[in-house]
Amino acid sequence: MGRNEIRLRRHRISSGRIAQHRNYGDIMARHERDQKIRRIARTFTYFVIILIVILMFYVVRVWERKQDKPKGTTAYVEESQGPSADSRQPTAISYGMLIN
Amino acid sequence: MSEAEILHEYSILDRSKKDPKAFGELYEKYFDRIFSFIYRQTDDEDLTADLSSQTFLTALKNVDRYEFRGVPFSAWLYKIASNEVNKHYRKKKRTQVFSIEETRVRELMEQANEGYDEEMIQRLMEFLKELPTDMLRVLELRFFEDKDFKEIAFILDITESGAKMRTYRAMDRLRKNFKLRIKYDGKE
Repeated sequence: MGRNEIRLRRHRISSGRIAQHRNYGDIMARHERDQKIRRIARTFTYFVIILIVILMFYVVRVWERKQDKPKGTTAYVEESQGPSADSRQPTAISYGMLIN
Repeated sequence: MSEAEILHEYSILDRSKKDPKAFGELYEKYFDRIFSFIYRQTDDEDLTADLSSQTFLTALKNVDRYEFRGVPFSAWLYKIASNEVNKHYRKKKRTQVFSIEETRVRELMEQANEGYDEEMIQRLMEFLKELPTDMLRVLELRFFEDKDFKEIAFILDITESGAKMRTYRAMDRLRKNFKLRIKYDGKE
């Protein structure tokens, strides 16, 4: 709490001078303007929230679709073999499909 | 205020929640008092007009949330006005100004059965300058706005005993400095 400035006024401010500053119309106009801005801001906020929800929904759907779709196929070559000493050696070729 | 006046005020407040035009009646009733209160804390007519408008604008914006708290509706307006003044000084980082009417000071000195002279007034001004701001605010509401301690506590957001303590401490210091016989008017 620092020092304050104390001023002594010889006269009270007159009611005429106070009345010059009275303007309820201005208060109403400012209040209505503030209300309008608040309404616009609220509408915009709701719009943004809905947009975000829709966007999130879309992203989730796309991700889910990616999960369901097959990723691709890998071909492998398998050689069937007749009776031979080395069962590891292929003797014929067949194609198989390996689905991941 | 009579009970009929209080009821009338509350009916205006109820109507104001749906129709801002209705609040105009309270604006007309309290504008002068709020203006004088703020003027006493700024000594600047244009600034006072701005802060007074802001006070009533804030009151109108929050009229939905107004609840009776055991003090008159006017105390709520004073509270908003006091907050607007504080906000202004915090923003501007300036020393608070208190502009008091000489006629009222003279009345108070006469109530204390003390002579009134220029020298005494100058000493009083010097004394008041040194008081903490929160003490001056209580004194202003007590002796210049004739508020009781319950209203002062509500307006300044302090306890009732806190308001009384600040007043009595200021009065004690005044008595010691000036050897005044300050009468306590018993108004609580």
